[in-house]
Order: sequence, then structure tokens, then C-alpha cells
Amino acid sequence: MESNNTDADIGDKCNLNGDCSPTPNKQSFDLNNAKNIDDISTPSELKFDEEPDYEDPDVKEKKKDLEKCLENPDCINLEQWQNFAKSKAGLISDDYRRKIWPLLVGVTQEELTEPPSLDELSTHIEYNQVVLDVNRSLKRFPPGIPYEQRVALQDQLTVLILRVIMKYPHLKYYQGYHDVAITLLLVCGDRASFPLLCRLSYGPCAPLAPFMQTTMQPTQHLLNYMLPVVSRADRKLAECLDKAQVGTMFALPWYLTWFGHSLNKYTDVVRLYDYFLCAPPLFPVYVTAAIVLYRADEVYACECDMAMLHCLLSRLPDDLPFEDILVTAKTLYENNDPTDLEPEVAALERREEEQRRLDEERMKRRQAAARSRHTSLSARLRRLVPAALRRLPVSRRGALAAATVLLAVYVYYRPDLLYNRRRENALEL
Amino acid sequence: MSEATTHQIPGLKQKKVFKIIVLGDSGVGKTCLTYRFCEGQFLDKSEATIGVDFRERNIKIGHEDIKLQLWDTAGQERFRKSMVQHYYRNVHAVVIVYDVTKPETFHSIASWMQEVESHGLMRAPRVLVGNKCDCGTPESRLATTYAQRLADKYGMPLFETSALLDSECDNVESIFMTLAHKLYSKQPLRVVSVEGELGPGVVTLGRQKRSASSNDSCLCS
Ligand SMILES: Nc1nc2c(ncn2[C@@H]2O[C@H](COP(=O)(O)OP(=O)(O)OP(=O)(O)O)[C@@H](O)[C@H]2O)c(=O)[nH]1
Ligand SMILES: [Mg+2]
Repeated sequence: MESNNTDADIGDKCNLNGDCSPTPNKQSFDLNNAKNIDDISTPSELKFDEEPDYEDPDVKEKKKDLEKCLENPDCINLEQWQNFAKSKAGLISDDYRRKIWPLLVGVTQEELTEPPSLDELSTHIEYNQVVLDVNRSLKRFPPGIPYEQRVALQDQLTVLILRVIMKYPHLKYYQGYHDVAITLLLVCGDRASFPLLCRLSYGPCAPLAPFMQTTMQPTQHLLNYMLPVVSRADRKLAECLDKAQVGTMFALPWYLTWFGHSLNKYTDVVRLYDYFLCAPPLFPVYVTAAIVLYRADEVYACECDMAMLHCLLSRLPDDLPFEDILVTAKTLYENNDPTDLEPEVAALERREEEQRRLDEERMKRRQAAARSRHTSLSARLRRLVPAALRRLPVSRRGALAAATVLLAVYVYYRPDLLYNRRRENALEL
Repeated sequence: MSEATTHQIPGLKQKKVFKIIVLGDSGVGKTCLTYRFCEGQFLDKSEATIGVDFRERNIKIGHEDIKLQLWDTAGQERFRKSMVQHYYRNVHAVVIVYDVTKPETFHSIASWMQEVESHGLMRAPRVLVGNKCDCGTPESRLATTYAQRLADKYGMPLFETSALLDSECDNVESIFMTLAHKLYSKQPLRVVSVEGELGPGVVTLGRQKRSASSNDSCLCS
């Protein structure tokens, strides 16, 4: 890879985020045009999507159709654009995406306005968190991107996010929102991505709106649809997941970022966005279920343990067949409408609640037991002293009693001193 | 909480597992610290943690292989309640991290302690870690004496370190090893003691080689 004044290659050898999976196929992420990029206002110049699969005759045909439609976009209705976006290979290339994504969510020309400057926004209460996350989004940029250009794009990203949450002050920024924003920004540029992100964040059916509430409760609830979907397709697998109590956390970043945070291949991310931009808001959860179903054998081969399964599932392999997974997810959605699943989700949540209650009780019992153990210990200590105490003047008796209590308190915090004397060999705590 | 889980794989030697949860405000360096410990290097393209990440490393105490599981949590407030709760289950020890260059992250410790308490972990081994001591000037960093006072108040040892500096590698090592030893010494029914062959306080550290880890499930985030 030719890179000129870049900071991206330093970290390439290092596996991102403690990743245990084999190093991703970097080739697929490379810039495929050697041309030097300096015009940051035209994001299409940032061609880091893989060249589409020209060998495939269907895709070749689709490309021709797309181009024809883009010559006369006003004659094409939303449904036709959606068909392109959903069917095999999606919108194929970022050149098409840049024009079609805004159409999919109904962005109008008037909404394309100049963004404010970063300085105007820096007093916002979420500013620091957003900047912190944006600064850590290096992985999302094409390797080899010139430093100045990357920094300029990161500033645009910060502005984009802050603009949306300032426009809708009741929406709360979450870590992961920046992963959605950057995908839109890289494809559509800073002007179009603002109304696009607004549509996704605000409104009764806005897919990101549940993530931006005061708590993560609504998100958690929606993620709970995954297990019932899996269960209906493969009961044995669902039981395995349930038994390990792996929960849904492994899929949380997938859902919150529409997989942008978790996939190494840029082309996979934008392909999924093609679909999600015209799918029902809960559709990404069905994709999650489809991925888990696809990986059933790996799950069976894994130890039935929360940590092991969480670890296994949270790492997405680089070679997931997303076209098939999307087809599976679509079928799952058609066969298991969210409203159908509600009773199952409610039952699952009741069980979780019960488990939480049991945990709490167990904890209280343990604390109570610990307390009584230590009271009996201090009682024992007190029994050792009374004889001596009685012979002492009152003031000294008081002092000794206090010392006893102090000793008991000390022992309470350092039970190991009494119980594990012999093994007090390690570094002092 | 002090009893470590043992893995029940028939035919395999059972291995002790210690679960350690890492808490602290966003950006203090939890991900970098756990990465440093598990992978032996600085993670220079760290990303925001969404939910909970998981890393692990095998260590040896005496002759015994022990698996340390580190749960690296998201620092952003909104992930804490309800979300991360699930992962407090069966936790054996707690690491609370602050950034020595950001006093506000130090002031959050009280609320992190509250959370620890609410999960019944006040008696679990805990350590306080001031990270990024490579940053700023001695004057701009939070004074050690100040931090030590708070650490004493909560009865936890204080470590000041940096996930960035290679020279601090041993220090990061000792944070987690301290906890591991503490947990090890707290275990009931232990017959073998470390004093045996190597003498007290001698610890054999073995960093798991990445290449060798392929069949040992995985080390990951
Ligand atoms: N100078 C310096 N920078 C550090 C050190 N540790 C972490 N950082 C940087 O601090 C930033 C935050 O580090 P993370 O490890 O991602 O923080 P975190 O605590 O995991 O944050 P959340 O995942 O948001 O909760 C990153 O940009 C790191 O590069 C350190 O010891 N020294
Ligand atoms: Mg982190």
C-alpha cells in the first residue's frame, strides 16, 4: 500500500481492540485508487470501497439498471430504489450510494445546508465525550488516508453529531452513534449526512431513536427479540445460549452501530446500511439472529460458559456471507413478526427479572452471613479479655474495649489475616 | 464471590478462573490497560467500548495455571445501569481506574464505589489505578498523596501507572497479579502453597503466546 504522510500504518500490525481473530484481510480495506486525495468536500473521491464484483452477471446487469435510473431519478419511485438497495449486492458502489441513500430516507434538496463551525459547538455538554470517541475512530478510516484529511473528516464528524443532538436536545448521545455517523459521512459527505442522520435519529419510526433515550432500557428490550427469533428457528441452539446465560451484550455494538463498529470490511458495512436504510427498525436484530443461527456449529463447539460464548460471538468472522444472511433475516422477519414475538419476549424478561431478584437475595444473604460471622468473631475476642478487664480501672477498661472493637473492625476488613495467615505470601494488598 | 469458578471439562485438568471487572469513566484507559496486560503492548488504535469487552490471560501461581478473565466495561454513564449489571454476576475482584490528568475522573470514584457496593463487592479485592502518569507535568497531575488518602479511605491499594509506556509494563502486570494473588490466597481448601519451591513472593509469570492461543478458545475484546 502506498502511503504518504499517514499515521494509519503504524498500528496495522497490532490487532485492534484485543482482537483474537486472525488479522483481517487488509486488502479489502485498501484504497483502490492511487490518486492523491486532497479534496475532502467530495467524499466520493475517498473510494475505499472494494471494486464491485464485476464477474457476477447479475451485478453487472444491476449496475446498468442503476445507472439508467440515476440519469432520470425523478421518474423512479421509492419502492424501486428500495428494491435496488435490498436485492443482491445492494447499491454496489459508493458512487451510487451517495446519491441514493438520501433518497431512501427522503432527504430533500433544501435540507442540504452548510454545517456550522466546530467552535460554535464546542460548549455543548456532550462535546468532550463526542471528541473522545471521534478521536478513537481511526479504525473506521481507510488505511493510508493522509493525516490532514483524516483530521478534517474527524472534525466534520464531531460537527455532524453535535448538530443532530443540538437540534433534538432530548436525544442523548451514546458511544457507537459516532460509528453510524461516520459511515454516513464517508459515503454522503457532510451536507447530506446531516439530514440523513436526523431522519434516522428522530421520529416515531426512527431506528436510532430508541438508543438515544435517557436509559438503555428500550434498547435492551428490543435486543431481547433476538433469542425468541433464534429459538423459533433452532430450539436447541437457543437452549444452549440460554443455559450459558450469555445474554445479548455481545450483539449490543452490532445493533447500536448497525455493525459499523464490529465489522472489519468496509464493504460489508455499507452493504448492510443499504438494506437497513429501507428496512423496519427492528430488522438489524433479525440480522443478529441470522448470524447467530449461521454460527450454530461454532456455538456448539464452544464451552457452554458465559464468558467463552460472549467472546466467541462478539467477534464477527471476516467471511460472513452477508447476502445469504440478509435473505435469512428477511425470511425470519416474515415468519416471526415482532408483534407475534411479544409474549415470548415478555416471558424472557420476566425470567431475567426473577434471576436478578435471586441474585440480589443471594447477595444480601451473603452479606448478612459475613456480618454475623464477624460479630461472632468480635464476641470471641471480647471473651478473651473480660477477666483482665475487670481488674482494670474504668478508664482503662474503656480504652481496652475500644481497642477490642478496633481489632474486630480491622479483622472485618482483613479477614485473611486470621484465616489465611499461612498463605499471606503474595504481594501485600 | 471469593470462590473461583472451576471449569468442568471432563478429561481436562480443571483450571481456576478469576473474574475481574474493570470500571472507571470513559477515556481513562480501561481498554488500553487490559490490553497491555493481556497482549503485552499498547493498543494505539483504541476504540470506544460499547457495552462490555472481554479479554483473558493465563497466569501461573506456584504450579497452578490460572485464567484471569477481565471484563472491560464501557465508561459512559448510560451503559452502566441494567446493561452491565449482568456482568457483575460472579465477579471476584474489581479494578477502578481514573486518569491522573483529569480530576473529574478521580471525583467519580465515589459513584463507582457505590456501584461496587450495590453489587455486594465491598469485600472483594479491589484496587485503584491512576492511569496516564506519562502525561502532563508533575504539577498538572493529580497528587499521589491526595489519591492515596482516598485509596486508604476505601481500604484499597493504589497504583499509578501508564498503559502507554513500555517501561510501566511490570507495574501494570503487578496490578492484576496483586489481585490474582489476593484471590488465590483467599481460596478455601488450598493445599499447595506458593512458598513451596520458589520462596515467598516469587511468582512465575507466563504470558500466553498469541500463536499458541488458537485452540485455547480466545483472548479477545
Ligand atoms: N498518554 C496516555 N494515553 C493513554 C493511556 N492509556 C490510554 N490512553 C489513551 O486514552 C484514550 C482512552 O483510552 P481507552 O483505553 O480507550 O479508554 P476507556 O477507559 O476504555 O474508555 P471507554 O471505553 O470509553 O470507557 C485513548 O486515546 C488512549 O490512546 C496512557 O497510559 N497514557
Ligand atoms: Mg474502553
